[in-house]
Amino acid sequence: MTLCEAEKTFVLHGVEENFRIDGREREDYRPMELETDIVSHAFGSARLRLANTDVLVAVKIEVDTPFPERPFEGKLEFFVDCSANATPDFEGRGGEDVAIEISNTLSAAYHSPKVFDLRKLCILKGRKCWKIFVDILLLECGGNLFDAVSLAVKAALWNTQVPLIRQIDIDGNNVELKVSELSDCQRLDVKTAPVMVTVCKIGEHCIVDPNVAEEQCSVGSIVVSVSENKFSTVLQTGTGSLHSSTLLDCLKLGYKVAQRLDDALWSTLSKIQPTEDVGFLK
Amino acid sequence: MPIDRKRINGPEETVPYNLYTKLNTKSLLQEFDELFCDGKRADNRAPLEHRKIFLKTGVVSQAKGSAYIELGKTKVIVSVFDPREIPNRTDYSLKGEIYCEFNCTKRRLHQQDAEEKQYSAIMKQALESTVCRHEFPNFQVDIYALVLHNDGSPLSAAITAAGVALSHAGVPMYDLIVSATLGIQHNVKFLDPSNTEQRLCDVSISSDGKEDSHGIIVISMLHTHEQISQFYQVGNISLEDITESVKVLETACKDIVPLVQKHLVKHILKTIKNNEDYVILVSS
Amino acid sequence: MAGELLICVPGQRLCLCDKVYTSGQGTYERQGYIYSQLAGYVDIVEKDGVKIVEVHTSGEQTVVPAQGDIVTAQVNIITQQYCKCYIKCIGDAVLRRPYRAVLRREDIRATEKDKVEVYKSFRPGDIILARVLPITEAHTYQLSTAENELGVVIAHSEYGHPMVPVSWTQMQCSKTYVKEFRKVAKVVPENINQQRLIKRAELVTE
Repeated sequence: MTLCEAEKTFVLHGVEENFRIDGREREDYRPMELETDIVSHAFGSARLRLANTDVLVAVKIEVDTPFPERPFEGKLEFFVDCSANATPDFEGRGGEDVAIEISNTLSAAYHSPKVFDLRKLCILKGRKCWKIFVDILLLECGGNLFDAVSLAVKAALWNTQVPLIRQIDIDGNNVELKVSELSDCQRLDVKTAPVMVTVCKIGEHCIVDPNVAEEQCSVGSIVVSVSENKFSTVLQTGTGSLHSSTLLDCLKLGYKVAQRLDDALWSTLSKIQPTEDVGFLK
Repeated sequence: MPIDRKRINGPEETVPYNLYTKLNTKSLLQEFDELFCDGKRADNRAPLEHRKIFLKTGVVSQAKGSAYIELGKTKVIVSVFDPREIPNRTDYSLKGEIYCEFNCTKRRLHQQDAEEKQYSAIMKQALESTVCRHEFPNFQVDIYALVLHNDGSPLSAAITAAGVALSHAGVPMYDLIVSATLGIQHNVKFLDPSNTEQRLCDVSISSDGKEDSHGIIVISMLHTHEQISQFYQVGNISLEDITESVKVLETACKDIVPLVQKHLVKHILKTIKNNEDYVILVSS
Repeated sequence: MAGELLICVPGQRLCLCDKVYTSGQGTYERQGYIYSQLAGYVDIVEKDGVKIVEVHTSGEQTVVPAQGDIVTAQVNIITQQYCKCYIKCIGDAVLRRPYRAVLRREDIRATEKDKVEVYKSFRPGDIILARVLPITEAHTYQLSTAENELGVVIAHSEYGHPMVPVSWTQMQCSKTYVKEFRKVAKVVPENINQQRLIKRAELVTE
């Protein structure tokens, strides 16, 4: 989608009046829908729909060997798949850059041990650990991918069931694990997992949750990823540059919104009943 | 990942032996205390002191413009090539593209891994807002950064050098670009961290659940217009610490600018003198 | 080069932008000021009472052909409909990397366009002066020689000897005196710039 100058001016004026083209205020999000536990083969899954943006996240777990330099830690890997259904631009290798950007930002956001403690995924020091694969599928792009993806990832990790280890047999170099049934599992601790907020600068003001049209009008945006009360990653996207005071304003706004978003997500998740049977793939 | 069989690839993975030695049993906190005692860092710097910078242009003869930078032991070469047609592109793009490739020193396969790709993306982001891209529609400028020795802050070194190399290549630019890195750990801010400092800032060392910030911040500044063209942070840092760090980094960038300017002026004078010599030679 | 040189670096504020001073090559205008885009020296050109501030690099400048530029190109392939060439110089700046360009039959000359035949106008290896047309098709430049001053400037006969122009459609071999058809450029001698272009072109062919 490309906008002409007049359309861009219209969007810009809307932002200045604090009344955006879809009727929202500058700090408002679009309505969201969240479903968990919808992919039966995965250990945990979630689907998030933020207006027209649709993201499906599935979590898989494997047993692996830890990195030699970090023998006490498990592994966490993100993989983003851009479906050509989302936008025609993703056809062929078109979505590769977006996919790499999103997965790199996610790994940076989950990098700090205070955000997501990989030590809990260790089974046997230097020998065995859990490796978590987070597969993200972009089903539809309606702007604001980062926010939607981070929320869906957090929900999917919350939903993830890690099997318990019943017994470890060590015979020389051979390690054999006996794992519990799927009905008897442990949840991951994701209270501190980060939530990302994209702050877009349009004209003199900053907005959150831009739609596709608004993304086009902005020269630069900042993706902040907030975990509890700290920033875990800040990344500038787009081609523009910002003055340092604007940057700090963006960070403050992003921080405030991320706190609200995290609270909303957490209260939604706590409402979900473990045995509830809903979802579009069932 | 597919491997080029014609090259000598070496072993797929290597593990440094010192991971298995008895010496490696120090806790991170002990390591930190060794690195930073009495307000001095391991190399006798104050926490907010930048390492000395050495700059040189015209080091790669095949490239249109090139620059070599040293920040202490960190050594980076950046080369810039003429605009060329964007490969595999059918539509018309109004603005030129920038292609960055960042190569690191840790012995790796010749293909870029995720970290290098991430650094390339950050570098591209930093340089896009300073190059006048409307001057070469439908073309891309290739910028290659090769890290010869990584002793911390390689990304900042590469971005600063890329700015110098671009202006050496005569690529029109809106502004001079300089970059600086800062690490935070245990309430201490390390400007221009070395490799060990950077590694320590990457993890949380206080195990008693204290609210300490830790992490790395890289920013790139456009000098005259006082704009931040790129901001990247990783770790776990509070808003107050980020605000302070941005101020520190801004002044650090301002301190690097005169050096870059001086170097460019010196370079211009030298080429003008060479041209004059050439004119005299031709006319005589 | 006379007197003192004003050295500047990218992003340096040069002067106020007003009725007297305007931004020229190598500079840009932002919020009423003129800034430098390049590392080089400042040059002020006076034209009709307006002072154009320009910045020139001390070394080679990075330029790409733009619409309206006069370029020096070498003919590579000729067909019935068009000839393919490589752009070697833009104005008096020699390029390091040649750019592909196409000169269509309709753009060879201004009059009697339908009677033009490509092989009677250019041959592979000729050095021509041409103007860059607006870019329509992505990726290739289109050239035009539909002006008296544009066309072949250097050509060699079938036997490989340099040729001299005898009319605007013919050139003669300096050794064998065989005449061959070309769309010859009328090089304006008083235009020093053009002469310099030809010198450059000669350097390129050598």
